[in-house]
Amino acid sequence: MAASSVPRAATRQPRRVAVLGGNRIPFARANGPYAQASNQDMLTAAVDGLVARFGLAGERVGEVVAGAVLKHSADFNLTRETVLGSRLHPTTPAYDVQQACGTGLEAAILVANKIALGQIDSGIAGGVDSASDAPIAVSEGLRQGLLAANRAKSTAQRLKALASIRPTQLIPAIPQNVEPRTGLSMGEHMSQTAARWSITREAQDELAAASHAHLAAAYERGFFDDLVTGYLGVSKDTTLRPDTSTEKLAALKPVFGKGDGATMTAGNSTPLTDGASVVLLGTEEWAAAHHLTPLAWFVDAETAAVDYVHGDEGMLMAPAYAVPRLLARNGLSLQDFDFYEIHEAFAATVLTTLAAWEDADFCRDRLGLDAPLGSIDRSRLNVNGSSLAAGHPFAATGGRIVASLAKQLSEAGGGRGLISICAAGGQGVVAILEA
Amino acid sequence: MPKVITLEAAPDLRQIYVSAALKRRRVGDTLPDVRVARAGVSVDVPGLAAYARVCRLPLGATLPLTYPHLLAFPLQMVVMAGDGFPLPLLGAVHVENRIEVTRAVAVDELLDIDVWAQDLRPHRRGTQVDLVSEVSTRGELVWRGVSTYLARGAEHPDAPRSEAPSTTPLAAVTGGPQWRLGDDTGRAYAGVSGDWNPIHLHALTARPLGFPGAIAHGMYTYARAMGSLGPRLAPEGLTSRVWFRKPVPLPSTVRLRTAFAPESTLSVLESASGDTEHAVVENTWAP
Repeated sequence: MAASSVPRAATRQPRRVAVLGGNRIPFARANGPYAQASNQDMLTAAVDGLVARFGLAGERVGEVVAGAVLKHSADFNLTRETVLGSRLHPTTPAYDVQQACGTGLEAAILVANKIALGQIDSGIAGGVDSASDAPIAVSEGLRQGLLAANRAKSTAQRLKALASIRPTQLIPAIPQNVEPRTGLSMGEHMSQTAARWSITREAQDELAAASHAHLAAAYERGFFDDLVTGYLGVSKDTTLRPDTSTEKLAALKPVFGKGDGATMTAGNSTPLTDGASVVLLGTEEWAAAHHLTPLAWFVDAETAAVDYVHGDEGMLMAPAYAVPRLLARNGLSLQDFDFYEIHEAFAATVLTTLAAWEDADFCRDRLGLDAPLGSIDRSRLNVNGSSLAAGHPFAATGGRIVASLAKQLSEAGGGRGLISICAAGGQGVVAILEA
Repeated sequence: MPKVITLEAAPDLRQIYVSAALKRRRVGDTLPDVRVARAGVSVDVPGLAAYARVCRLPLGATLPLTYPHLLAFPLQMVVMAGDGFPLPLLGAVHVENRIEVTRAVAVDELLDIDVWAQDLRPHRRGTQVDLVSEVSTRGELVWRGVSTYLARGAEHPDAPRSEAPSTTPLAAVTGGPQWRLGDDTGRAYAGVSGDWNPIHLHALTARPLGFPGAIAHGMYTYARAMGSLGPRLAPEGLTSRVWFRKPVPLPSTVRLRTAFAPESTLSVLESASGDTEHAVVENTWAP
């Protein structure tokens, strides 16, 4: 290497990444209006809506990154296949990611990082999930038997392999919302954590009612007019109940947890939903060249994971760990935000996370902090509704939140927003946007 | 004034085929002045999804270009099965189709459909006729289809021909999607389209009608071709034409080669060997 040459990487500064907009299809209760739509159908609809809104037809964007949590094995290249079926230029590269409910936000982080590093100038991040068009697998015994038969070299070996299959193994395996290592559903995990933190039924129902009221009000004032494109005759999230109230929610029977202490109902837990969302990210220069105005800047992000398998920590508590690390790196306190988007996997998830940040013991023993992070101004929380009202097609939630928060910050004329999303496997993905 | 037959629901095509098989038809040289109409038709989303799956089309917010044909086709059959229609229904072959899309139609729009026959004329191998289908929503014409059917019969070697465009631009195109069409292809498409024409179902039902085996529905291979071109075409202001040259026998493997121009595409659907040209598809649109 010539002595005078300076490695280019050393001179290259990270670039600011703008959130330019987003698009999603309305989220719909599983086995409802999108029952026949595949993940690829819905993601394509979301991408094509974005393309139409931002005039990107025939354009090659830097990269499209998306994923699905419930994914058919045939969809191994889901995002690239979606690009090829969309109005983007077919030379647009794409790849899939999967980080459970953190997928959509993680996709945005990956795109933002490549933009910041100068590897791409623009990108689309998103996610899709169908709880209706779910993959059904053959049982493990049947799969092993069929594979052995396929490997067999003689008819006798093949018959022997096929004979090993028991009739009960012919029953297909339908995917379940269960953690592989604990056998507990996400709701059961959450109910244990909620009980540990003494989260009351009333507080959960209040949060759920607020989510519906906020989402209804946001639709009412046209907030979603340039964030949502109708699909298959649906123009609004079908799980939204504008007329619900804490009284109505209080009448529901608990579905998770046991006995008198059970507090989690279908009303304060997210329903299974189908939907897709995407966001458009780019540099200032790319935005200007496309006559687009940045809504907000994608500032920083952090992920965390907790050891929940043997009960050391609650399965959905990882964001409580990710946020203080993100705050420390950016020199911010928990109170330095104008808006908080804490994904409502369950109302109890939001409430335990907030309780943990207020708890001196937790902050000292678990987070290693001198003082608790403290409480937040609840009027700044999920101001346009969140997953309890909108629904939660797992991988599509991140895109919904990034686009909504960016627009909210832009409408407010500036400010800072925090995103916190919990994910299966004891993981959490969090990010900061600024405008 | 034409006689207008207004249908409340889509007729069952299987009944029409059965009664057509039993009916002896007088061959004439005039078309009855009849229109068949349905008003306020809403798209059945599960039915649309099944069609999209069979034809490998995306289930999007707007209808696939070929889908309104599916809604109009039963009405075409009512026209052609009606008294005084001068050509036999069974054994008639779809030789050419033209679709004009004025604007993309949303899945939840209510559609008014009008169908009639026109231009009965000689073909070099028999007699052909155009079935015109117009789809409008709230008085706005959004989709228009012209399906040309040939009834083989007395030959007219001097009849004017409707020639497909020259495939010369395709000479340099070597690649393109290839599809294996199984022997159940005709039955699968019949299930989602309602077109139970026996020539598509099974060799045993196709042979009495003069085919050595079952053949694919032309509108099926055309829909698949349109699906694979989909994002490369203008969604609105599009005219799409297809000339069905030689039937696609089932089972078989076919490939699609396409030449792209700024405001048009030209494709040929041919056997995998390239020996047989099954169809030519041309799409044009305004800039």
